[in-house]
Amino acid sequence: MSEKPQVKSSPSFFNNPRNRSIIYQLLLLFGLGYFFYSIISNTLANMEARGIQSGYDFLFNTAGFDILMSLIPYDATNTYGRTFIVGLLNTVLVSIIGIILSTIVGFIMGVAHFSHNLLIRKLATAYVETFRNIPLLLQIFFWYFAVLAALPSARQSMSLGEVIFLNVRGLYFPGLTPEGGASVVYAAIAAAIIGIFVLKRWAKKRQDDTGQQFPVLWVSLGMLFGLPLLALIVMGFPFAWDIPYLKGFNFRGGVTVIPELMALALALTVYTGAFIAEAVRAGIQAVPHGQTEAARSIGLKEGKIMKLIIVPQAMRVIVPLLNSEYQSLVKNSTLATAIGYPDLFTVFVGTTLNQTGQAIEIVFMTMAVYFVVNMTISFLMNRLNSSVALTER
Amino acid sequence: MSVEQEKTNENNDDIIVIKDLNKWYGEFHVLKDINLRVKKGEKIVICGPSGSGKSTMTRCINRLEEFQRGSLTVNGVEMIEDVKNIEAIRREVGMVFQHFNLFPHLTILENLTLGPIWVQKKPKKEAEATAMKYLERVKIPDQANKFPGQLSGGQQQRVAIARSLCMNPEIMLFDEPTSALDPEMIKEVLDVMIELANEGMTMLCVTHEMGFAKKVADRVIFMDAGEIVEQNTPEEIFNNPQTDRLQLFLSQILDH
Amino acid sequence: MKEFKPLPDQPAPNDTVGPIHWVKDNFFSSAMNTIATLLILALLATVVPPLVDWLLISANWSGTTQDACTKDGACWVFVIAWSKQFFYGSYPTEELWRINLCVLMLIGVIASSQLLNKDWRNKFSIPAFLLLPFVCILILDGSWIGLEYVSTDYWGGFALNVLLAAASIIVAFPLSFVWALGRRSEMPFIKSVSILLIEFFRGVPVLALFFMGSVMLPLFFPEGTNVDKLVRVWIVLTLFMAGYMAEVFRGGFQAVPTGQYEAADSLGLSYWQKTLLIILPQVIKVSMPNILATFVMLFKNTTFLLIIGIFEVLSTTQTALTNSNWLGGHSTEGYLFVAIVFWICCYSMSRISASIERKLDTSHKN
Ligand SMILES: Nc1ncnc2c1ncn2[C@@H]1O[C@H](COP(=O)(O)OP(=O)(O)OP(=O)(O)O)[C@@H](O)[C@H]1O
Ligand SMILES: [Mg+2]
Repeated sequence: MSEKPQVKSSPSFFNNPRNRSIIYQLLLLFGLGYFFYSIISNTLANMEARGIQSGYDFLFNTAGFDILMSLIPYDATNTYGRTFIVGLLNTVLVSIIGIILSTIVGFIMGVAHFSHNLLIRKLATAYVETFRNIPLLLQIFFWYFAVLAALPSARQSMSLGEVIFLNVRGLYFPGLTPEGGASVVYAAIAAAIIGIFVLKRWAKKRQDDTGQQFPVLWVSLGMLFGLPLLALIVMGFPFAWDIPYLKGFNFRGGVTVIPELMALALALTVYTGAFIAEAVRAGIQAVPHGQTEAARSIGLKEGKIMKLIIVPQAMRVIVPLLNSEYQSLVKNSTLATAIGYPDLFTVFVGTTLNQTGQAIEIVFMTMAVYFVVNMTISFLMNRLNSSVALTER
Repeated sequence: MSVEQEKTNENNDDIIVIKDLNKWYGEFHVLKDINLRVKKGEKIVICGPSGSGKSTMTRCINRLEEFQRGSLTVNGVEMIEDVKNIEAIRREVGMVFQHFNLFPHLTILENLTLGPIWVQKKPKKEAEATAMKYLERVKIPDQANKFPGQLSGGQQQRVAIARSLCMNPEIMLFDEPTSALDPEMIKEVLDVMIELANEGMTMLCVTHEMGFAKKVADRVIFMDAGEIVEQNTPEEIFNNPQTDRLQLFLSQILDH
Repeated sequence: MKEFKPLPDQPAPNDTVGPIHWVKDNFFSSAMNTIATLLILALLATVVPPLVDWLLISANWSGTTQDACTKDGACWVFVIAWSKQFFYGSYPTEELWRINLCVLMLIGVIASSQLLNKDWRNKFSIPAFLLLPFVCILILDGSWIGLEYVSTDYWGGFALNVLLAAASIIVAFPLSFVWALGRRSEMPFIKSVSILLIEFFRGVPVLALFFMGSVMLPLFFPEGTNVDKLVRVWIVLTLFMAGYMAEVFRGGFQAVPTGQYEAADSLGLSYWQKTLLIILPQVIKVSMPNILATFVMLFKNTTFLLIIGIFEVLSTTQTALTNSNWLGGHSTEGYLFVAIVFWICCYSMSRISASIERKLDTSHKN
């Protein structure tokens, strides 16, 4: 026993893992502290030398510039604070349009990869491989400068039934102005949505109790369109059409989609759609063929196999990928700046920053917005993920 | 002709009738002139070298594979290109796979009730009661609320058997149910299968478990190169092979 | 004992094999499919001939000015006349050999990595690849190695996209590896700083980072320091890339089997020996497909630099399109050309990434 090798009873201070870890972390802390100290002091000195203001008071000053498109009333006499809101809403608008359309395109193209038709398969592959390998900004320019700029002038507009018009200045389609009784129609829409939830629960309960199935999807669709339609007919169509018409060199009335928005939404849709198609393909491929065979062998019909076996399993792969694609889409929407669509970046980091010079505050606010938007997407997608991952149907 | 009418046409007790069945994968002739009749309650073990077409033939019986020539009648329903017929046949035939193929996103209980609820349109309570009954028969009722990933291979395979049984099939097909399992788990699965056989289920089982074949099989079918080379009682097959091919095969598997 | 003679193979029934069946199976297998096939064929028939006509048959290929474009097809004269600008920016003509030299070296290094055996690849190709961007910067700049100084104001075109992307990924490599290690660390402060860094650079639009680089970064340095615009861009691109790559490496760490860590521990290696010698090579190997995918993203994103006024290829194109001698509306030709150049690069990288992934897949199964 006495020949046991001598073990040092107290290892050197630096070799103790605990001490080491504390030293490393202190070093990092001091390093960062120094880094931030020098940045902040430099920045303060620089700002003073250049006479840049600080603080958020500028938000209450008059902006004095016009914005191409706004979802809320805005003119040059409004404040910088309001330019922030206008830009934010425009960003949200193009993001929502992009997310909805790219999801539709992506799912169609992703599923097309499994078509029995060779042409459809090849077309889907060609779409994905073409558009995800070309820079997004190039695609935006292509749509904006090469395609939309080549559209005819207002006088030679292309039109669909003389109510929808497309020309170099944008897309014009009819708007609806509510009249007395319109609220009944709104109520019908709300009732249809609530009704669908009730119907779903009722159908599930009935199936649990009696085993009888109910065509929830078709009845829901019927309700969603039928109820508002019924209300429209009963109330004698309580809306006035606001049809765009040519006045001078431009169209008046109706709803206008400016070419900047069209080009940006189109490019974001096509680009992100290619990535979503890949995600969908990967998700479906992740479900082994044995799953389909097992489901067939217990006698499930093909439609039910899709709904009960394939989709839930594929969604587990697809949803996390969708999450990051949606976030990229929102971040990529900042490219609006390149063609002058007035999103948050163009309006706020562009014009407002130029006029006020308050780079720190403005860049900080903008980054915070993108963080919040992306957190929201993440939160929603995680909710969706846990609901597709664990529920049975 | 409706499914019901066809059912009454055949009035002998052969539950599966395969006549001159031929199948090709592209240019490759996998099944050649297969003729096979299976009586109700008969237990058949199918063996043969790898690639001989055992799986393919078994999978034709519940139309997981289509064939190009010949005819196949299951429980009086002839297999034709018709969704209704295929569904009717699949309702009569249960299948157990080599790799279990449980649905990983559903609990064990949900795996078992899926078919009864969506195919047989049973109320949930009733389906769950049946499911629990079968889980007890395969001796794992306590796992009902776990997910497949949390079970051992042997347990998963027993769940897969119970899942098929929940549909009340007339016929059970097994495609190498024990070959993905560790030795100690093989026995627990075979025990369940033997019990099932004793209850009179019609069974077609692709397996190399010769002990099982000797114990339960009424008939052993030996396949090679896409044909049925020999079929006979287990004793005859093992002790008195008629062809050189079977003798070679037996010497190879008994060598282990 | 009977001898077993297998039945002869019969040919498959005519309606299940052969070209006619193949056509039926792939194009007309059901009523819906037939309709789809006919619709697509009709679409292709209306789109492809005019497209081919415009692109090739009635396109204008020769000439030096816009007036040479007399036929109504594409005016490739525009692209040809500006091609030097597209690739080299406004780098002085007599010094273009420097860029060509860099391109040749790049091709050489890539070729060497394919041709040499594994040993030499590790000894030569990889170090050469890591050094190349810096060597190229020295050559392009010139002032340090006795050549004529070319200010970064003249750097531009597609060469600049490639250079910036390559220079960024190489610095981002070690940086992101350290961040990923930090994120795995058990030291809480180091861990949270790493997470913050990674999530910041991944979560913020890259355009916002560029703006930070161009409007905020100058404020951070002591008064009077003048940091070159391209250097600022380089810093931003590197940090952006590092954020994404750190996450790729994190996935790579998770893919390395725990047995490897235990084996390394049992050899008595120190933390850094273990990490650099045993774990790093494996992490890089399993992460390679994703690293390439991230690089493709970075490469495409170098076009965003147009917005802060860097003369990369897209911004050169915009300049060419607004040049008063070329106002005939050649935007389609210009964008198409740049798109094709990018497409070739990105598509080949994505193929390489896919083939590495397949190789990894099979090697894991064995
Ligand atoms: N989907 C397919 N496409 C083409 N050939 C196939 C396909 N499936 C099976 N085959 C071929 O058909 C032949 C028979 O396959 P099968 O799976 O029925 O053999 P098996 O007797 O079950 O063999 P094992 O004991 O290995 O499971 C094999 O040669 C196989 O390569
Ligand atoms: Mg088999």
